[in-house]
Amino acid sequence: MNKLLLGRYIPGNSIVHRMDPASKILLSIFFVFIIFFANNLVTYGLMTLLALVSVVASRTSLRFFIRGIRPLLWVIIFTVIIQILFDNTGHQLFKFYFLTVTDNGLKTAGFIFIRFLLIIFFSTVLTLTTDPLAIASGIEKLLMPLKKIKFPVYTMSLMISISLRFVPTLMDETETIIKAQSSRGVKFKEGNILARSKKMIPILIPLFISSFKHAEGLGRAMEARGYKDGDNRSQYHVYKASKIDFCTWAVFIISGILIFVLRG
Amino acid sequence: MKNNFKLVARALFIAIILIQTTVPGLGYLPIGPLSLTIIPVTVIIASITLGTTDGMLIGGIWGLITFIRAFFWPTSPLAQYVFINPLVSVLPRILIGLVAGITYKWTSKTNHQKIWLSIIGAVGSLTNTVLLLGMVYVFYNGYAHELYQIDTKALLPYLLTVFSTNGLLEALIAVVLTPLIAVPLIKFTSK
Repeated sequence: MNKLLLGRYIPGNSIVHRMDPASKILLSIFFVFIIFFANNLVTYGLMTLLALVSVVASRTSLRFFIRGIRPLLWVIIFTVIIQILFDNTGHQLFKFYFLTVTDNGLKTAGFIFIRFLLIIFFSTVLTLTTDPLAIASGIEKLLMPLKKIKFPVYTMSLMISISLRFVPTLMDETETIIKAQSSRGVKFKEGNILARSKKMIPILIPLFISSFKHAEGLGRAMEARGYKDGDNRSQYHVYKASKIDFCTWAVFIISGILIFVLRG
Repeated sequence: MKNNFKLVARALFIAIILIQTTVPGLGYLPIGPLSLTIIPVTVIIASITLGTTDGMLIGGIWGLITFIRAFFWPTSPLAQYVFINPLVSVLPRILIGLVAGITYKWTSKTNHQKIWLSIIGAVGSLTNTVLLLGMVYVFYNGYAHELYQIDTKALLPYLLTVFSTNGLLEALIAVVLTPLIAVPLIKFTSK
């Protein structure tokens, strides 16, 4: 079950692995924010450099990044083709009935393609180097300011941790259910819409029931260990921003400023 | 016990939503060229078994996932333009939980529970489709050219097509699935 994007964490000890998860999440958001301002070769080159340096610094195999692109391939191709065919500004290169391909259209399509790749690469760096539970603690840190308006940050972050913890468990259970049903002769990919939606029922009911059973068990266990909702919780791993984080942020903010200066 | 159970149950519903949004075949039924979502059913079930607020929370989480994915891993070419607006991606999903929860509260004491659960399924699923497409219409009416390179007048027929194909079929799936899943779960949780 390594199809899931969240479950692809690969343990390691690279610079990126050791960064504070909260700052990694923020960096990804910042990266996506500034890449939308890039609009010429120089700025896209700079963004590519940033992404590639991050990939190299994460010391993970390039294979995983290629694999990350695959599920999105048709969306990327479709977007690029639409861009090529319908962006009719600039010099016309050739015309085929009502389809016109122009140099501007090709250029923008190329940039959109690169943007897709870079965003996927960068977000893959985050998911490859950050344990799902570390992501949850990063989210908690980022939500902290909301505590001022009485938002239940700790409860929320505990919920996210529990759900991330149970994603693989529930997926394994689902797989078992699907296999059990297929071995009884259920063909999930056949039939009309009603027949197919009805085939979901023997998967979904056990999934929900088992979730409720897990909830009962874990709820009781938490009760037994004296968990009280809303109290200040301490964490097993405490992540702190280090020199690496500050240096990375310095590089990214300078790049961000450069993007604004160099964009055409 | 009650509080902790609810907390974990909420978390597990979030886990189910996470699985349904990422594993093809569990959250989406690919039928012909269409991809029909059954995630509204999960949100409706959450509303019925855990309560309206929790249904809204689960719906909101689904919306947030859609919202975040629109930036990082868009699921369709259109997603990257429309779902980056939280009023399109998050709000309709929160309201599925609200509508389903309120309707269930009104009707849970009546006799024809199964029929009402079907209606709740339809109403919940349609809330999602109608609001989502409505929001797209409101926000992107002037920008249709950038969206799909179709001219402004074509946006409404386009949305109506999506509604009559995806929307109505999804509602049909919800009508079938909601009572069949909800009845055993209501029995299980009221034990």
